[in-house]
Amino acid sequence: MSSGLSVDELDGPEGGGEAERMADETQKTSQVAGRSPTRIALSRLAKDKVAVVCTGILLLLVLLAVMAPFICDWLNIYPDQKDPNAPTPSEMLETGGIPSFGPPNYPFTWDHPLGIEPASGRDNLALLLYGLRTSLTVAVAATVASVIVGVTLGLLAGYAKGVVDAVLSFVIDFFLSFPFILGALALAPIITSRFGGDQDTLRRAELYSLVGILVLFGWMGLARLIRGQVLSLREREFVQAAQVIGVPTWQILFKELLPNLVAPIVVAVSLSVPAYVAAEAGLSYLGIGLTESPSLGKTVDSATVWFQRYPLYLWAPVVTIMIMVIALNLVGDSIRDAFDPKTRR
Amino acid sequence: MRLKQPIIAIAAVSAFTLAACGGDGTGSGTGSGNDDQPDTTQGGNTGQTQDPDREGPVTIDGATEGGTVTVISTSGLNTMDPTEAYYQNTTSILTGLVTRAWTQYAYDEENNTMVLVPDLATDLGRPNDDFTEWTFTLRDGITYEDGTPVEPEDFAFSAARSFDREAFPEGPAFSNDYFVGGDTYKGPYTGNGLKGFDAVEINGMDVTYKMATPFPDMLYWASFAAMGPIQEGADSDPEKYRLKPLATGPYKFGKYVPEKSLELVRNPEWDPATDPARTAYPDKYEFDLQVEEAQLNQILLEDSADDQATLTYDDVLAVNFDQFKADGRAAVGSFPLTSFWAPDYTKITDIKIRQALAYAYPYEDADLAGGYIEGVTSLPGAQLLPPGTAGRKDFNPLPDHEPGSTDTDAAMALLEEADAVGYEVKFLYTKDSDSGVKVKDAIVASLTKAGFSPKPVPTTIADFSSLRADPDTDINVRSGGWIADWPSGGSWFPPLLKSTDVAAGVLGANYSKFNEPDIDAQMKEIQTLPVEEQADAWGELDDTIMTDYFPLFVTRYGGVAQAYGSAIEGHFIDNTIGMPTWKNIWVNS
Repeated sequence: MSSGLSVDELDGPEGGGEAERMADETQKTSQVAGRSPTRIALSRLAKDKVAVVCTGILLLLVLLAVMAPFICDWLNIYPDQKDPNAPTPSEMLETGGIPSFGPPNYPFTWDHPLGIEPASGRDNLALLLYGLRTSLTVAVAATVASVIVGVTLGLLAGYAKGVVDAVLSFVIDFFLSFPFILGALALAPIITSRFGGDQDTLRRAELYSLVGILVLFGWMGLARLIRGQVLSLREREFVQAAQVIGVPTWQILFKELLPNLVAPIVVAVSLSVPAYVAAEAGLSYLGIGLTESPSLGKTVDSATVWFQRYPLYLWAPVVTIMIMVIALNLVGDSIRDAFDPKTRR
Repeated sequence: MRLKQPIIAIAAVSAFTLAACGGDGTGSGTGSGNDDQPDTTQGGNTGQTQDPDREGPVTIDGATEGGTVTVISTSGLNTMDPTEAYYQNTTSILTGLVTRAWTQYAYDEENNTMVLVPDLATDLGRPNDDFTEWTFTLRDGITYEDGTPVEPEDFAFSAARSFDREAFPEGPAFSNDYFVGGDTYKGPYTGNGLKGFDAVEINGMDVTYKMATPFPDMLYWASFAAMGPIQEGADSDPEKYRLKPLATGPYKFGKYVPEKSLELVRNPEWDPATDPARTAYPDKYEFDLQVEEAQLNQILLEDSADDQATLTYDDVLAVNFDQFKADGRAAVGSFPLTSFWAPDYTKITDIKIRQALAYAYPYEDADLAGGYIEGVTSLPGAQLLPPGTAGRKDFNPLPDHEPGSTDTDAAMALLEEADAVGYEVKFLYTKDSDSGVKVKDAIVASLTKAGFSPKPVPTTIADFSSLRADPDTDINVRSGGWIADWPSGGSWFPPLLKSTDVAAGVLGANYSKFNEPDIDAQMKEIQTLPVEEQADAWGELDDTIMTDYFPLFVTRYGGVAQAYGSAIEGHFIDNTIGMPTWKNIWVNS
């Protein structure tokens, strides 16, 4: 795939339509001067069916997460017992914790489309929607933060030579070699016990600390990538020209170098979001993530012991996480392909 | 007695302080056999029935020898040193299968209760008039697993060992509390050998224990593994002995990986003719520990050919209980555990607010959220003394309150009367336990509805006990649980409700910080009463304290719901401790 771009494209085994499209694109590029790589990539993406479908699914999930409070209001379901109208466990459950309505013992009811959570009597759909909300919030926040940290440090390390680069590279390698799960296991309880005065502070502390931990162990990949790119870019003529005419360093970094790094950054972002979604669920499953906010991973953890009697309880969050992570990954792959000029299409 | 492992909200503590009332030898038992529901009248009946004349050997009709019993559990065994074993699992495995002591409990199938019978002693011990001296006579021909004979001196050494709080910090401390020299002698490892130890006198085969305080309950303490024979010498060094205690019972230690697995194999030196309670039908016991809860349930539910001789002493998951019951493979029973909520007596000074809490507590919701099975592992009640305890009085400190039910309107009315609507209730919960969080949610919802402002304080399972035991922790309600070591009010009130020096940071198990000199005096007085009057006096005191002061309210009495494979016979519940009746188990092949 990486050998000889033009040869590959010409000899590609694709059907006529594909070849035509490629030819068409080359033609356009030559006609419309100065079309940016981002725009090329976007137009390629728009023609990628998988990417379009997956983006649609993701938009739907985001919409569901954003609208969670309204949907719950409309369906009259509650994700917790804080609302005075929320039903108590004993109103929803029989002895032993099995729901008194809906599956597994009673027929399906529209009042609780995904059933009721055993032991707590909360509605599974409400839990799912709010869990989705938490998942996406954590993943997006962690991605944004780790991109900012990774890009900044990568730019600095790549552009500065000598000691600064050596120190930053060492830090990057140090964090890369540190076992993530071990770090999370050790840090999470310390942070939450330090800030966990009452429930609300604890909820915020947990959210921030989870994002913090994900960022702490998630920025290095991007930093390394950027550093490598900058190392080669910095020797290019336009950078040397800028240096010669005395452009300030920060301007070289952010005005000259950064725009050339959009592609790797976008690719890194698109692939790190699903990783963070999975990490949040995984950590919450292990009990070191979120305890005060609804979380898909936490629901999976509670549901495993019920699987034999009440499979729907486990399937709902598992399938949701699966769809979300697969869709995010496929979109990420498509974005990478679209930005990569070497991709054979 | 301690639970198998610290459990959220219960985390029971040992009942190791003053106990003065003894069993009176009258059996009270209208048991119902091994029914589907635990007998709710028996929980505190920890072997009040006694039979000093019972003799071995014991046989079970139709039982066959052979087979291997596999025991699976989610918790490990923290120490198997007889002097230190004080958890439900360690105590009952040692006394049931491995080590013998002066007295022991035998299961009475007809009444579904435990009977105190002799073990290595020829009777249940002979006290002097004021219970300050107890004499036990050792049977002839008892040997350890290596063939060396058990000597009366070995009991003196084990008694000395049981004084050593530094070598055995987790062990029961009754010897220190009652025996002569309890305040001066430090034990053979911390102190200077047996120098200064004069609590035991040996005369031929007679061993006499001398008490500093009258101890009518000595015959129960004599059933603990700590009171069994232990040889002096290098082999009984604490570091070594916890890995391989010398067996006098029907099984001895095979391969033992602490906290992970234990193999018990036959001890050929054990003579059934000397043992009035134990049988030893299975060839072997294999303990598989630290098994995942879901996996443990699955193994027992499936009951596949390989696992039919498997049992567990853990409670099965509530969701599976119906299935085990339908299969006839559930062992249910009660044991003397009272779980309670203790409002801080120094902070919540208005009795109406404390009573309102009892109305507002979500008994049913907390059971569901905590995974308890109502009527099986959770039984309602109003008295501190669990059902079956000698002298327990039938009363209700809140006449309008049905025990185990929640009435938020009544709570609200009481709060309005006390002019305390919106009263802040601060309590601990374990945020790293799923059920801990769910129970907390249920409590918050119910208390809010009743007009309180609940402020749950998050902590972790690891820190829970120490935070609760610290009188300065910024909370005003503590949850607690208590398991009696033997059936006497004296093992309940002094440790739980006698005023402690809170200012000096000592809370003990007085979780409500209860401090009434009048009640302290009454407790002291009861302990000086003639033994036969004490039981009823404790029952009266229960009524007085709960009706006049209401320092705590009962959230549930304990029950167990265990399960066994289809080849296991004789798995009943030992209601002194909530564990299987090891002495009756056999494999049906």
